[in-house]
Amino acid sequence: MFSAEFREGDVVALSGRFDASQVEKAQAEFDKVDKSCMVDFENLEYISSGGLSVLLSTQKRLSEAGHKLKLKNMNKHIREVFQYAGFDMIFEIE
Amino acid sequence: MERRFKRKMDALDDIFTFISEFGAENGVSEGHMFKLSLAIEELFVNMVRHNVGGGREILIGLEKAGESLTVSLTDSDVEPFDITEADEYDTGRPLNERPIGRLGVHLVKRMVDKINYEYKNRQSKITLIKDLGNANV
Repeated sequence: MFSAEFREGDVVALSGRFDASQVEKAQAEFDKVDKSCMVDFENLEYISSGGLSVLLSTQKRLSEAGHKLKLKNMNKHIREVFQYAGFDMIFEIE
Repeated sequence: MERRFKRKMDALDDIFTFISEFGAENGVSEGHMFKLSLAIEELFVNMVRHNVGGGREILIGLEKAGESLTVSLTDSDVEPFDITEADEYDTGRPLNERPIGRLGVHLVKRMVDKINYEYKNRQSKITLIKDLGNANV
């Protein structure tokens, strides 16, 4: 089960599996983000290109207004996916 | 082992369960399971999205022989689409030039050691080979 939950301090906490079947639901949540925020991956187990596309489209939209997503607490498998996709060059990852 | 899955995105949960069962039975590591799940998801989703008018189900096969893992996805009554000849995704492009999409096939190529594509009698079959002894992929 995937979820994206807004928390205090401009944090979006992801959990579960962010696969292609979750894109619509996730996009609706990320469309609410209108300023820079931190995305916490601590409880996210998995991500595919579907999940990456949501993050990419959000980053593009925010960057036009001078804002950005920052990412933290990725597991090593998800971090590898970001590296393979070259997303470590377009997201700041803690 | 092999199983048929409905041609719809909602089938992903059942596919991940199938992969987990296979991994548990065959002692496949967590890291390899992650990559296997990602490669299968990307190919399955491509078939669901692009093989419009194809058969109602997609067949997924998993087989382990020694340190070699073979995955196959077979889709019937479809037009050919050879993913091995798909355009390369440029991972060096800046944010404003990154396309939304086209990343799936690129990731599949990074997850496995070898990809074969066969098309015969309007049937597409993609076979992935993964060397479980290779820690780099």
